[in-house]
Amino acid sequence: MPAPSPSPKALFFGMLQVALSAFGGGLSAWSQRIVVEQRRWMSNEAFLTGLTVARLFPGPNQINMAVYIGALFNGFIGAMAAIAGMLLVPFSILMLLGLVYFRSHALPAVDHVLTGVVAAAAGMALSMGFKILHEYWRDPLAILIAILTFLALQVANFKLIPVVLVGGPMAMALYWPRARKSQAEN
Amino acid sequence: MTGFDTLWQVIKTFLGLSLFSLGGGNTLLQEYQHLSVDTYHWITNNQFADLYALAEAAPGPSSMIVGLLGLGAGLRHGVLWGVLTGLAAEIAILLPSTLLMVAAALSWGRFKDSPFRIAFERGLGPITLGILFSVGLTVLRTADHHWLAYVVSFLVCGLMLFTRISPLYFMAIAGLLGGFGLIQR
Repeated sequence: MPAPSPSPKALFFGMLQVALSAFGGGLSAWSQRIVVEQRRWMSNEAFLTGLTVARLFPGPNQINMAVYIGALFNGFIGAMAAIAGMLLVPFSILMLLGLVYFRSHALPAVDHVLTGVVAAAAGMALSMGFKILHEYWRDPLAILIAILTFLALQVANFKLIPVVLVGGPMAMALYWPRARKSQAEN
Repeated sequence: MTGFDTLWQVIKTFLGLSLFSLGGGNTLLQEYQHLSVDTYHWITNNQFADLYALAEAAPGPSSMIVGLLGLGAGLRHGVLWGVLTGLAAEIAILLPSTLLMVAAALSWGRFKDSPFRIAFERGLGPITLGILFSVGLTVLRTADHHWLAYVVSFLVCGLMLFTRISPLYFMAIAGLLGGFGLIQR
């Protein structure tokens, strides 16, 4: 039995709890645990639908998920309350860290440590593409589109926005669901 | 430029990018680097790499790097302008995508089986893949200038793919190596 729908205030504190629990990582797992299991705002199916929508639309996935949950119960106000709850503490910490950084990054000791951290973080950035590569590996058209996108950005030095505005509709046309046959193949 | 000019420049920049953050927002990193370093000179290349690492290491969504870029842009006018510009940057990058997401959440039932949705999901996936590889390469080139740094990056990339160890450990160990002067810029 789901609990009654949460007020904007409850959404704010729920997402605050998610953000605080997820220090050190695992934001979407914590979000599921708190929203579905502890507070029972929505069923697991509804939560997974939300994740799908959050990944599909532009914007950071975890923030989109907070928006989805907030909007479902209280529209735009709910979305704002959920984002505020999710970002208040981490964003304040990040701003403080940023201020410390800009004060101290010229110190050789700080610069040396950061040089190492930066190399590790670059490895994380490099892994992002590889992480989703397996989803497209068996689809030559997808690989071709990915390669063309990569070349447009890296070799031809086109900017992201024109690449998405030109490549996006072309790729959508190629993947537009046509006959029942191609539907059945999915 | 006054603090207000910088603030407005930051807001315009991120408002315009918001709806292009496909695949969870990381697709914009290359654009962030280009705009904040080459176009507007808010920060240096090394600072961009540092801020990216900071946003990855700090708790919370790493997309909050936008707040740090705003902070860096506004800081030349004082701490208050820095924090204000950082906050404005974060709001600007989130507002358009949030409005779209609210609309999506409220109308998903009607939208989910439409051919547009299917084509959007399947067509933009491969584009996102290509962008993410490009972003990875750009961040790598921004961050690493020394062979050992490249070794660390490739090692971390492999560990991210084949283990479930928290990347915080990788950053801590690499930070230690850097602190001992083993990794250089």
